[in-house]
Amino acid sequence: MLPLLRCVPRVLGTAVAGIRAAAPSLPLLQPASRPCARPFGLLSVRAGSVQLPGLLRPWGPCGCGCGCGGLHTEGDKAFVEFLNDEIKEEKKIQKYKSLPKMSGGWELEVNGTEAKLVRKVAGEKVTVTFNINNSIPPAYDGEEEPSEGQKVEEQEPELTSTPNFVVEVVKDGSNKALVLDCHYPEDEIGQEEEDQSDVFSIKEVSFQSTGDSDWKDTNYTLSTDSLDWGLYDHLMDFLADRGVDNTFADELVELSTALEHQEYITFLEDLKGFVKSQ
Amino acid sequence: MGAVARAAMSLVVRNLQRAVPLRRARLREKVQAVRRALGVQRFDLGVVCVDNRKIQQINRIYRDKNTPTDVLSFPFHENLKAGEIPQPDFPDDYNLGDIFLGVEYIFQHCKENEDYYDILTVTATHGLCHLLGFTHSTEAEWQKVGAIPCPQHTHTGGIAAQGPRNRGCTIFPLQSSMKTKWRNALK
Repeated sequence: MLPLLRCVPRVLGTAVAGIRAAAPSLPLLQPASRPCARPFGLLSVRAGSVQLPGLLRPWGPCGCGCGCGGLHTEGDKAFVEFLNDEIKEEKKIQKYKSLPKMSGGWELEVNGTEAKLVRKVAGEKVTVTFNINNSIPPAYDGEEEPSEGQKVEEQEPELTSTPNFVVEVVKDGSNKALVLDCHYPEDEIGQEEEDQSDVFSIKEVSFQSTGDSDWKDTNYTLSTDSLDWGLYDHLMDFLADRGVDNTFADELVELSTALEHQEYITFLEDLKGFVKSQ
Repeated sequence: MGAVARAAMSLVVRNLQRAVPLRRARLREKVQAVRRALGVQRFDLGVVCVDNRKIQQINRIYRDKNTPTDVLSFPFHENLKAGEIPQPDFPDDYNLGDIFLGVEYIFQHCKENEDYYDILTVTATHGLCHLLGFTHSTEAEWQKVGAIPCPQHTHTGGIAAQGPRNRGCTIFPLQSSMKTKWRNALK
């Protein structure tokens, strides 16, 4: 990169209108076709000493004078300003400043984007694990026109995080965990009418050893796609008895949405810091 | 579709609410017994358990009554004669429709000496009868059935009168011998 950019002033020096920089991978770094008044060797890279239009700014030390050593283009500056506004707006609409508590005595452990809810009840340990990455279903544009008097903004549904979650049940003294993979229905966001799906459903059930950290594919996995409905209802009752019921599922959505929003804001702040290189 | 597959048609239970704890397997067992008693186990049936908010919404949309209620039925086969078992030509038509149970409403109106799941079952049965073409209009229709108990809660839109026994039921009560026959069929 450095040798290429150093070639750019030479291209400028030819004073040919419409000459584009020989940097096809950097479409923003296109100098204007202005004749250069000084010989190349005397071109200074200090801020203001070289009239480079558009988004090109000299390679480090930074032309804006901050001395960070990073590349600060006008695009970066606009990006940072955009991120400032975005962060401010996201914080304004943040529903929970701290993560909401789950009812039912669940202890929460968060490790980045992964969260674990743990509950011990009558000789059993129940663990619910979920990850907020890719947990927000895609939003579809409404096909209907806004009704009379209704603003367009009011039609936009809130983004909610509905992650898949895994329930592990281990009885005291056992090295066997009953593992149930649960999903929320894949409805379009905002669609509430004509909804006859359960709040959540069990997709797969398997036994795994508590000693193994990795999922064993060689253990039989029961898929509920073609499962006897009676057995399915017993499994749902089993979960409900251990606190994984519709109330839990609704509260998990609130928790996951709050965590996802928190992580999103943190990411924006990190991105802003990275682009600013400060 | 062969006879074996027809015999195994599904009862789908859905629980969309969190107002009342629900034992799905127990409700399923009871409704399966009702299906067998009525001779309709070959037909698909949906039982959807909802709260007051949802059943009120459905009542408002489909019956123009903005109140919660205990049961609403959506038949697959329309214009059935009372108690007529459909004779479909196509496998996909082995379907009776859906029953929405207002489980929160039923729970709130369940008396202390009443078993909640018995009341749920009776109410589901009432809804099932509607799917089979029964209405409340004539005593003759109810007598044709012979074994359908009168639920204590009306689903015509609300409770017409307060009091332990008179809850605005607009359908005819069974004779005691018929009630016994019904309870035995559910065991």
